[in-house]
Amino acid sequence: MGLTLVLLQIFLFDNIALTSYFHPLIYVAFIILLPLDTKPIWTMSLSAVMGLLVDVTTGMGGLNVIACTALGFFRPMILSAVSGHSITGENAITGLHRFTDKIMLWYISAMVFIHSVIYFFLEALSWDHILRTLLRLLVSDLGTILFIWYFVKLFIEKILKLK
Amino acid sequence: MYKLIEFLRRIYVVLLFILIETVALNYYANSSHYTQAKILSRANSVFGSLQSSVFSIKHFFTLRRENMELSDRIADLESQLAIYKEREANMLTDSLGFEQMDSILYESISQYRYTTARIVQSTISHNRNYITLNRGLMHGVVEDMAVITPTGVMVGYVIGCSERYSVVLPLLNTDFRTSGKIVGDNNFGSIYWDGHSPYKVQMTELSKYAQIEQGQEVIASGLSHYFPEGIRIGYVDSFQLNENQTSYDVEIRLAANMTKLNNVLLIENIDYGEISHLEQTTGGGSAKN
Repeated sequence: MGLTLVLLQIFLFDNIALTSYFHPLIYVAFIILLPLDTKPIWTMSLSAVMGLLVDVTTGMGGLNVIACTALGFFRPMILSAVSGHSITGENAITGLHRFTDKIMLWYISAMVFIHSVIYFFLEALSWDHILRTLLRLLVSDLGTILFIWYFVKLFIEKILKLK
Repeated sequence: MYKLIEFLRRIYVVLLFILIETVALNYYANSSHYTQAKILSRANSVFGSLQSSVFSIKHFFTLRRENMELSDRIADLESQLAIYKEREANMLTDSLGFEQMDSILYESISQYRYTTARIVQSTISHNRNYITLNRGLMHGVVEDMAVITPTGVMVGYVIGCSERYSVVLPLLNTDFRTSGKIVGDNNFGSIYWDGHSPYKVQMTELSKYAQIEQGQEVIASGLSHYFPEGIRIGYVDSFQLNENQTSYDVEIRLAANMTKLNNVLLIENIDYGEISHLEQTTGGGSAKN
């Protein structure tokens, strides 16, 4: 799944030349959809590898590693915050398919937002054009959230239900 | 000791997080477009063929438009060639002295070598965009070659090459710098991209004495070692004096639609190495671009 998302990012989403404001970072779906019982160290390491893969193939010089590693690190906290449950211990949620649509949407939005805040502000490296950066963030995030939402609905949910 | 190990066992994820982020931040802060292009050209050895196939499909749908542009360009060049042929014939039939003959022979050796390439990957949505071409070292492409559209409009210059692919630093990269001027005026300014619109670039430090009007053509000044003088960049969209009232800040509408590029021409300045070497040994020519 990770490789498919990277290929989609490089060949499809990086080539959408509509406007410089629209830059969906869809490969974060990989980090979002990692199984809930993945150990934190693995979540973070796999996120870092994912970032590295995108950096190497798009020439972004470490930007994706920074954003993805942070997202992998904070994922357990974001999960607990949006679901209201711990992801370890007795009350732990067993899988993403247990999430209601509302929680799932909150979870995807929070993850995409945190990743893109780090990504776009580090890329801009300046407060001079903060409005432009915020607009890029908003437009791109909407595209990313929409893509991941349908990606989950069309493919992931069906696979989970089969299990 | 046991407590220390237990403590480290509890916080090793945090420690690893800090370590990865420190290394990545340090690399990002110190990376230049050259180091990024080097990595990108290596990655192209793996992904290049796949990128090439994807772009071939995309390319198929723009063939008609490209053919039209190329036909126009051929017609344009044919008419220019006819003028040169006529001029050459007139000069040779005139009674020339030996020294004048020598200058004609000297000028007939061009300073620039041309080659063609196809774009296999390009972006416009980053601040640092790059273009990948399907020609590399084995096709004679080298670093510092200028890249223009088949209609003679500036695109960028080559900053990294692998055996079969090369990476271009385009106008739409915030690290890009070159020198430009208004047609019919000898004052020049510095061209750069502010990272906003993919259809516009900016020119600063253009003397306030320059003759400037909206819609005028902006071309390469020839001060850059990459681009021959006269390569078209775009048209003046708007202009205003800077805060100190000493020079103009100009907004330029790009002549090339960077979102719809397919084929490009590469130009090698054969004298580039010699000029660079001379400047380095004499300490002159601080501005590479």
